[in-house]
Amino acid sequence: MTKYLLTWVAVATAYAQLGPAPAKPKPPRNAKEAAPVDFTGYWVSVVTEDWRWRMVTPAKGDFASIPLTAEGRKLGNAWDPAKDEAAGEQCRAYGAPAVMRIPGRLHLTWADDNTLQIDTDQGTQTRLLHFGASPNKSTQSGSGTWQGYSIAQWEPPVRGVQSPQQGLGATREGARGRSLEVVTTLLRPGYLRKNGPPYSGNTVLKEFFDLSVERNGDPWFVVTTIVEDPQNLTEPFVTSTNFKKQRDAAGFSPAACSAR
Amino acid sequence: MKLLTFAILCGSCAWGQVQSQDAVHVFPVQGNVSMLVGPGGNTTVQMGKEGIVVVDTQTAAVAPQVMAAIRKLAIPPDTPIIWVINTSLDADHISGNEALLRLGGSNEASLRARVITHENVLNRLVAAGPGQARVADAASINDTYFRSPKDFLFNGEAVMVYHIPAAHTDGDSIVLFRRSDVISSGDIFTPDRYPVIDLANGGSVQGLLDGLNKILEMAVAGKYQEGGTFVVPGHGRLCDEADVVEFRDMVAIIRDRVQDMLKKGMALEQVKAAKPSRDYDTQYSGSPDVFVESIYKSLATPRKP
Amino acid sequence: MSKATVLVLSAALWGAPAFAQVDFSGEWAPLYHENGPERLPGPELGDYTELPINDAARLRADSWDADRISVVEQYQCRPHGSDYALRGLGNMRVWREIDPATQRLVGFHTHMLAWDSERTIYMDGRAHPPEYANHTWQGFSTAVWEGNMLTVTTTHLKENYLRRNGVPRSDQAIVTEHWMRHGDYLTVVTVIDDPVFLTEPLVRSDNWYLDPGQHIGIFGCEHAPELPKPEGAVPNHLPGTNPYLREVSEWYGLPYEATRGGAETLYPEYRLKLNSYKAPPKCDRYCTCTTLFDCQLR
Repeated sequence: MTKYLLTWVAVATAYAQLGPAPAKPKPPRNAKEAAPVDFTGYWVSVVTEDWRWRMVTPAKGDFASIPLTAEGRKLGNAWDPAKDEAAGEQCRAYGAPAVMRIPGRLHLTWADDNTLQIDTDQGTQTRLLHFGASPNKSTQSGSGTWQGYSIAQWEPPVRGVQSPQQGLGATREGARGRSLEVVTTLLRPGYLRKNGPPYSGNTVLKEFFDLSVERNGDPWFVVTTIVEDPQNLTEPFVTSTNFKKQRDAAGFSPAACSAR
Repeated sequence: MKLLTFAILCGSCAWGQVQSQDAVHVFPVQGNVSMLVGPGGNTTVQMGKEGIVVVDTQTAAVAPQVMAAIRKLAIPPDTPIIWVINTSLDADHISGNEALLRLGGSNEASLRARVITHENVLNRLVAAGPGQARVADAASINDTYFRSPKDFLFNGEAVMVYHIPAAHTDGDSIVLFRRSDVISSGDIFTPDRYPVIDLANGGSVQGLLDGLNKILEMAVAGKYQEGGTFVVPGHGRLCDEADVVEFRDMVAIIRDRVQDMLKKGMALEQVKAAKPSRDYDTQYSGSPDVFVESIYKSLATPRKP
Repeated sequence: MSKATVLVLSAALWGAPAFAQVDFSGEWAPLYHENGPERLPGPELGDYTELPINDAARLRADSWDADRISVVEQYQCRPHGSDYALRGLGNMRVWREIDPATQRLVGFHTHMLAWDSERTIYMDGRAHPPEYANHTWQGFSTAVWEGNMLTVTTTHLKENYLRRNGVPRSDQAIVTEHWMRHGDYLTVVTVIDDPVFLTEPLVRSDNWYLDPGQHIGIFGCEHAPELPKPEGAVPNHLPGTNPYLREVSEWYGLPYEATRGGAETLYPEYRLKLNSYKAPPKCDRYCTCTTLFDCQLR
């Protein structure tokens, strides 16, 4: 009896020190509610990298930094903007794998509670990032489009191999994810840059959007873009593009696609 | 009562801030050497069982804070100051001599502090002429040298005092603490501001560059050009060889530009208007015009051999 | 163990706090899929594009003579600062330091291929050194977690460069980094606040891929006099005399003003001022460049 009384006292003492379990928060009802950070608003690209490949259309055959296969290089060297114009394909360099690199402004909004919309002024493109979409829906969408079909999620926390368990040395719950993770498929073949380095319709595009607030108070986001296209690329093509938030729509100037 | 308490507390806060501005901060460098950062400049101290060496004593007003900082470092705290070395005749380097020794020197005759400068410092201090005579500062000096280096062994290392001719002034010294591997440069090197080339007291731009090159010759950097020999400047943060290179390059480049303009026959006002230091003005404090003028006049007047 | 002990231990362990961290440890191989020619063989002289620099930075860069690296012996083994090192030969190893007593993260260490540079990023709450402390190439770095992103603040950097064609970065700069790991990819955003040479913060980002097979060798460097120049010589171009500044404009068809950099040139509307741009008929410089070994001039 004494032994169990002592045990009860020890347990009660430990409980009192640790406190009652925190109330578990209600799960968010939708992606908008679950957003750990806010990407909505107007953003401007600040071109501090690849300036002469982005601010102007580089020379034919200038594929510096892109890990093209021989096939990709051959197709790139065949770039003919006049032909693209004649075929109505002026938007080939404005597809999802490339549009974020084009200097311009973006407007991000929630099209609905589970769809984040990105409107670009350059090329007047619209990207729809679908949260909670099933992979089956993407494969049933039919032929490719410039922006493809994007499935989004708020990046889950880092986890060990097993489910998180509490206790000494066990796997643990990682840091709360703040990133937006997007996978895009069903793309129409296009160009990684204005001067024609290609990507195929089998491309898988992965992106990670991360937000930060700098010392002067300016919000920025960086989108890390990973283009996987074994047909035209010897390895995944990885770039990271930086955008600064604007207070309003100043400078948002819709402009049609240009093949040149 | 509440108002009085509030006022007292606010007053204390304000006093604390004022005290912080006048405070002398201690920053150990390496070996036996530490840097004391004061409101008017830097003091270098080397200490050990034999006593204390002080390079540049700042001003009399700051002597109590300098001495308090030394006491924090010294073991035992009442270790006497045995050597004082002044790197130039500038008041912010020498005027604290007497006050500091009153606070921290030894009263024993055999341990009386030696206060060393190059002989040109003493000569200029006692010279006649308006503003030149600084009697108390001159009287505090009891030991001068003319042949360089003057050296002595103290606390287990060689202390070597080198004369740098016609640099910031014509009486500049730099001090090498050989085992600690620290150089005290005085105002030949001031990483946060344009150097003063005191033409009236014998300074020159070429001499300044020679002095900086001498420091570079003496300093040995650690791996990948960092650390190794540390340099305590007359004003500004603790540095090493790479920092001295940047400063030397600045002086050399601006000198080259002024020299080019002089060769083209440009007058002083034209040279100043061309702003030959404009890419350094945002980095170094002090008057660009004064610096450029001193370079111009220094180049325009041939150096005496 | 008795039932009593088990019960007590179970109660004590229930509700133990989770550690919220991302691990950046590993061997990271840099990806040069952006600015390959600038980061690998090196930037062209006079190319100040992409940089929000002021006139002081421009004149410094115009005055810079590459001979300085060999003539001024102290430049020969000069490393990149911790900010620029991320853009150069950036093969990197990262490892954690865990306090043995508390098992908490003290910080991360990085080792870069170039100049064997090592840096500690402190996460134990220590303060930065006072303003009169010495500066180093790596600076002094502390960091905090923002969710799964590590935000690093670095002060006390020695004067170095924003680009190794002479565009300077001062010793008064404060550098912020954001480290983000997504699976086997690492992205580091670098924000340089330099009141001396920049009119606004310079924001760049670099990427790495986890490469467990990577082995970083010893970089090594010995300095020695190489040219019979007078002691103290500092090679530099007098203002207005640098003969190489228009090469970038000529080679790539860019308006000369655009190559001079500046904040205005970073924003989309600047393209309206690029009407005089005329692309060369075909690429003939660095048309391929993704690694050190495939980056050919022609």
